[in-house]
Amino acid sequence: MFRYYLSLGLRSLRRNPILTGLMVLTLSVGIAASMSTLTVLHVMSGDPIPHKSDRLFVPQFNYGELRGYDPNEDLDQQVAYTEARNLLDSGFGVRRVAVYGMNGALRTQDPDFQAIVGNGLAASRDFFAMFEVPFLHGGVWSEADEQNAADVVVLSRKMAERLFGKTDAVGERVRMGENFYKVVGVLDDWHPLPKYYRLINGNGGAFYGEEEYIEPFATAVRHEEGNSGSNNCTGKGPDPGWQGWLDSDCTWIQFWFETESASDRQALTEYLGAYIDEQKQLGRFERPSRIAVSNVMEWMQLLNVVGDDSRISTWLAFGFLLVCLVNTIGLLLAKFTARAGEIGVRRALGASRGEIFAQYLIEAAVIGLVGGVVGLLLAFGGLALIAKQSNAMSMVASMDWEMLLLTIVLAVVASIFAGLLPTWRACQVLPAMQLKSQ
Amino acid sequence: MELRPIFSTLMRNKTGAILIALQVALTLAIVSNALFIITQRLEIASRPSGVDDEGQVFEIGIATLNEPEDPVAHQERDEALIRAVPGVEAVAWSNQVPLGQSGWGMGLFNSREQEQSTSWTGLYFTAGPLVDVLGLKIVEGRDFTPSDVETVDFDKERRFGGKAIVSAALAKRLSPEGSVVGKTVYVGNGEDASAMEVVGVVERLQTPWAQTDDDGEMSTVSAMRTTERFSRYAVRAAPGEAERVQRDVEAALLASEPGRLVVRNRTIAENRINRYRSDKAMAGTLVTVTLLLLVVTASGIVGMASLWVNQRRKQIGVRRALGATRFDILRYFLTENLMITGGGVLIGSILALALNQVLVSQMELPRLPLGYIGVGVMALWLLGILAVYGPARRASLVPPAVATRAT
Repeated sequence: MFRYYLSLGLRSLRRNPILTGLMVLTLSVGIAASMSTLTVLHVMSGDPIPHKSDRLFVPQFNYGELRGYDPNEDLDQQVAYTEARNLLDSGFGVRRVAVYGMNGALRTQDPDFQAIVGNGLAASRDFFAMFEVPFLHGGVWSEADEQNAADVVVLSRKMAERLFGKTDAVGERVRMGENFYKVVGVLDDWHPLPKYYRLINGNGGAFYGEEEYIEPFATAVRHEEGNSGSNNCTGKGPDPGWQGWLDSDCTWIQFWFETESASDRQALTEYLGAYIDEQKQLGRFERPSRIAVSNVMEWMQLLNVVGDDSRISTWLAFGFLLVCLVNTIGLLLAKFTARAGEIGVRRALGASRGEIFAQYLIEAAVIGLVGGVVGLLLAFGGLALIAKQSNAMSMVASMDWEMLLLTIVLAVVASIFAGLLPTWRACQVLPAMQLKSQ
Repeated sequence: MELRPIFSTLMRNKTGAILIALQVALTLAIVSNALFIITQRLEIASRPSGVDDEGQVFEIGIATLNEPEDPVAHQERDEALIRAVPGVEAVAWSNQVPLGQSGWGMGLFNSREQEQSTSWTGLYFTAGPLVDVLGLKIVEGRDFTPSDVETVDFDKERRFGGKAIVSAALAKRLSPEGSVVGKTVYVGNGEDASAMEVVGVVERLQTPWAQTDDDGEMSTVSAMRTTERFSRYAVRAAPGEAERVQRDVEAALLASEPGRLVVRNRTIAENRINRYRSDKAMAGTLVTVTLLLLVVTASGIVGMASLWVNQRRKQIGVRRALGATRFDILRYFLTENLMITGGGVLIGSILALALNQVLVSQMELPRLPLGYIGVGVMALWLLGILAVYGPARRASLVPPAVATRAT
């Protein structure tokens, strides 16, 4: 019976093409608007590293002088160099990573080579393992290179191609300023969305941009590479010079802990509390001890990675879908009412109310299915428009299988929902009345 | 007027009317909020930066391969090179430009002892006629003279130039009563704070970020030069020549020594587009949603009204036969529509406020001014009348003879 009703439903699409077309169009526009905005939201708020996002932690401390302290002030989002150094050496948890960003002009050994400006990252060695960065060639620098702050570098695939015309650039030399860095590894394509490992940055925001070269944290510090991004100093500024900057309480480094399990969070908080108490003995951290520890999802929420605009758009798009649904209810009502005679005949010939109900609900679902397919096409168009808005949007406006399926399901469910009232009304048709008036 | 009979007819066939009213209500709720957000965004994006003729002013950022031996001489030579390019009206070394979205922000204090800063400020450094390059209007005091400019090497000392020009908005914060010119303000507090004497006030100068709150107008220009490997120059080109001048300046700087690298070469107008791209995109999205919504609602009204006209052909015929004019029939349907949309906008106004409440509580959005609901109500009433006019006219054309025919 289901298949028969399905074919009836498909056939009835053709019977009243204008009304049906209007219904499909209304539904599909509503579906497209809500699904394209929801897709953006879905990508933005997605978990970039699901299997370990609950055991990667960002620590936050209460830097600054006691003078002018406001207890309601937000904690610093980054750490000072002293903390980065001490916590890297602390041995707490499975891995620890300190990371900051920089810009550099990259050249080859060829003196005539026109320099390429690249977005770089200074990261400690565990960066690659912690964030599961894939290598195409070579690998991470050695423990000894890290200790000695050696001039070694890992390139992105694209940067390797731009510099050397090939991806396997391991062993080549990259010139930055007056220093020559040995290439030890080339990354495969790596685009976590959002770029959770370094959300506070100076280029591209939370979504756009690629790390084009990565050098050891200690090497970047040795070459006095400043942070391109947010540098936050409170109260008394740093003393002049690079050493003054390193010794200061200015915050500019993003720090991560990886622990064995999510439940190590308490231990981490306690460990950091003890660390701050120890530092207080040394005359640092004048302010009351406040420590925050956030895992990946909490961290992204804290930094408001999903912008308000995306949320407003989604709210309004679903309101729009609601209007489209009400409109579809009206149109279905019109369509079914026009067929009262037909229903009367079927009822007189012995069809039960339940059968009429099933038939018309399936017809509504068929409209939903067609609307869903058209809506999906429109949603791709909508996403293409959204992608044009900005570089960041071009990264997040892409549909995955999950959302594709959801689109169709949403359309069918919505149309069945919209069909309930008209179908119920169709069931109320009294066969006698219809037969009499024929 | 025949309001009562129309109303009782509506009550007898409620479903359709309720659906239309609901649709109108939802549309009003969304459209009035969308209109509000659109206006807000466009207002934000059109705030003046203080720069006169943003298309004529550009910033060019250039890095050198090696640390120059005499950075000041190096910068001065660059300035001379740029000034020599035909079409250049003025050039100034500067650390940042309006709408550039990167630069310095610091806390300003009225005294060293003060604990909380008087104001946050965007901190411009310039060694040249930045006021002329940007076309700022001095409303009090004076511009810098070459002797005001100090050279600071941040590797050796942490201080700022001793003379400053502030934006009028900042002047008001620093000195709510009386003039700020001649007063001393401090970057930071305590003994390490850097003192600056305010010598002038400009009418308006936004920070590089042009924040949407008051901080966006809080700017300070300090007369100083810093010695770095990276230099930025703000340049004013002659009217209509910006594009060529940009190219020529870049070529001249690159040719001056090997290994130089142009990092940025953009007009303030381009910076403005980048700064407000997301606001414009949001406004564009909402305009699209609003238009689609109105079309959908109008089509709903047309569909439902056509259905009613078809259902009531016989009654219309009877009314016509009993002496109702065509105009009476037309008026009937128009009035009916006005009643339905009237009910809709009534519910819609409440929904609009409710939706706004949700947006206010969930996100940083101000409260919806009632005027927007008023505009929405007018728009929907007008839309309703336009949408129903077609079906109503067809109804008025039903001939009285229909009454005499069997179905």
